[in-house]
Amino acid sequence: MIKKTVTVKNEAGLHARPSSVLVKTASKFESDFYISMYGYKVNGKSILGVMTLAAESGAEMELIFEGEDEQEALTAISELFENKFENN
Amino acid sequence: MVGRIEFKGVPAAGGIGIGKAHFLQERQNEVSPEKIHQDDIQLNIDKCNRAFGALKEEFIKLKEDAVGEVADIIDAQIESLKDPELYKTILYKIESERYEAEYAIFSTLNEYIHIMENADADWLNERTIDLIAIRDQLIDVARNKKQGEDLEPGSVVFATNVSPTSMIELSKNSIAGLVMQKGGLTSHAVILAQSLDIPCVIGVEWKVKRFKNSEETIVDGDLGIVVVRPSVSEQRAYDERKKTEQKKAEEILEISKKPSETACGKRFKLQANVEFLEELPKVKTHGAEGVGLLRTETILFQKKGFDVNDQLDFYRKVVEASDDSDVTVRLFDAGGDKLLDDMDTESNPFLGWRGIRMLLDESELLGNQLEAIYRLSGEYSGRIKLLAPMVSCVSEIHRLKKRILEVKDRLTEMGIKFDQNLPIGVMVEVPSVAIMADRVAKEVDFFSIGTNDLTQYTLAVDRGNEKISSLYQPYHPAIWKLIKMTIDGAKKSNIPVTVCGEMASKPKTAACLFGLGIENLSMTTSALPRVKSMLCSHTMDSMRILSEQVMNANSPGEVQILMNKFGE
Repeated sequence: MIKKTVTVKNEAGLHARPSSVLVKTASKFESDFYISMYGYKVNGKSILGVMTLAAESGAEMELIFEGEDEQEALTAISELFENKFENN
Repeated sequence: MVGRIEFKGVPAAGGIGIGKAHFLQERQNEVSPEKIHQDDIQLNIDKCNRAFGALKEEFIKLKEDAVGEVADIIDAQIESLKDPELYKTILYKIESERYEAEYAIFSTLNEYIHIMENADADWLNERTIDLIAIRDQLIDVARNKKQGEDLEPGSVVFATNVSPTSMIELSKNSIAGLVMQKGGLTSHAVILAQSLDIPCVIGVEWKVKRFKNSEETIVDGDLGIVVVRPSVSEQRAYDERKKTEQKKAEEILEISKKPSETACGKRFKLQANVEFLEELPKVKTHGAEGVGLLRTETILFQKKGFDVNDQLDFYRKVVEASDDSDVTVRLFDAGGDKLLDDMDTESNPFLGWRGIRMLLDESELLGNQLEAIYRLSGEYSGRIKLLAPMVSCVSEIHRLKKRILEVKDRLTEMGIKFDQNLPIGVMVEVPSVAIMADRVAKEVDFFSIGTNDLTQYTLAVDRGNEKISSLYQPYHPAIWKLIKMTIDGAKKSNIPVTVCGEMASKPKTAACLFGLGIENLSMTTSALPRVKSMLCSHTMDSMRILSEQVMNANSPGEVQILMNKFGE
């Protein structure tokens, strides 16, 4: 299992479109993926779970991966946060 | 039958809608918690799978001809239907708690709906309606209930609020208008109404009992007025207005379908200037033969990485919307001020680091865009052209071509195919290029005259400066002379010239440009019908005479008089 803390950088926060991008990317990997924020933990492959976090710009969240391709998944997902979900 | 009722609301989407009132049924949202027998578990799981599958299929079908905002909305709906947690919870409720599929769906989605309704974030509240739509549609399919309702085409629909997806369905039923109690001007339903040309008024409070289904109703989406049981004279006036509107729309369609030929049978080609995906539907309906100017600045400012694939996605959508015609992609035409936040401000940005000058310095930006355009040319061979902005001397063209060679070599190495002979053109907007047109023409495959910048640079007038705005005169004979020089220079090397500036979008100046020998004009889609109608109704000779007179004029005023007189 690997973990990483990231910050939501895009201005509007994790609203519908970024959530959709996040979920689509996560679903390409076999590993389980969870997001933990303010004591809530949601499945990172669930768009409804991700959206209901209502993460605003500046929010910090912990990404948790577990599975064979966890490293690749972490790299891909961190990149999305880094690029503000704009390259998809 | 009692008298006239008028409601005032907020105008949300323009136009006049006349039809019979239809109250959109608020669905029966209560589903009772029925328990099932163990033997029926599989049956209920199947029912649930069938509902999800059917709805997913329906959304995928809806998405087929959707672009931009509409496509994004439907995409999010499809993602929600694929949500693994949602499905897991529903399955648990059927298998372990032994609830009927309908109730399992209903109660699970309600948990999410509850969270969204009570969220602090406005955007999340707005999504509630989408999820309610999914919930109700899933239950309808599970119950084998017919989807949608009996809606007479041409009805005026009254609803508390409408979800984006049902809005798309309503439009397929060709409704005449939409009246909503809720919904903001930026809500998805309103944005859709605008792009689907459905007159819409929001924020209207009506009492259900005061009128009923199928009563005569008028929606005035321009003024935000809704009238039920209009008076006879009122009805007549609105009928007139509606007819005029329709006639205008029909004329547009009719003209767009006509062949692009002058009264004497000479062919011409009108293309569209495009910047946003939302403009694409009009490329076809307004009769453009492809895209003569694709502006790429917007994707530059929206996306930070200038990602090749992002660009390709955008370009592909534009090419797909242009039938078999060609698309001219203009390289990022931006001032350096917009590129970097920490840039020192230039004292004279219009004469500064912009267009090709900036691109040649920004190696990665240019490299990525060239790569995207060349990859595109491999997918749509023979249909893509490349246009360089703000060129002022031949050496810039040489440097650009060197960069293009590098990109071509890289693509060849990677085994990616591209159009070897992709036409490369330059904008004629700096006077030096017009003056040297015969030499520049030897270096490129086509010219595209940008009349707005050409006017501004020739007359040394900043069109944005109010104090001198009267000096900005596109009719100035100097501009016409430069256009003529460009055409003559191009002729020597036998390369085509197009005009993509504002001058192309004004019917009479377009006629004059055609008279000068320009057979390809590109303009904003809304201008296409009027320009086409002008060119179709005149002969080559009459337009040539106009252009000769204009070439002999001594002042902008004289040109203005010639234009005014033309065709009258």
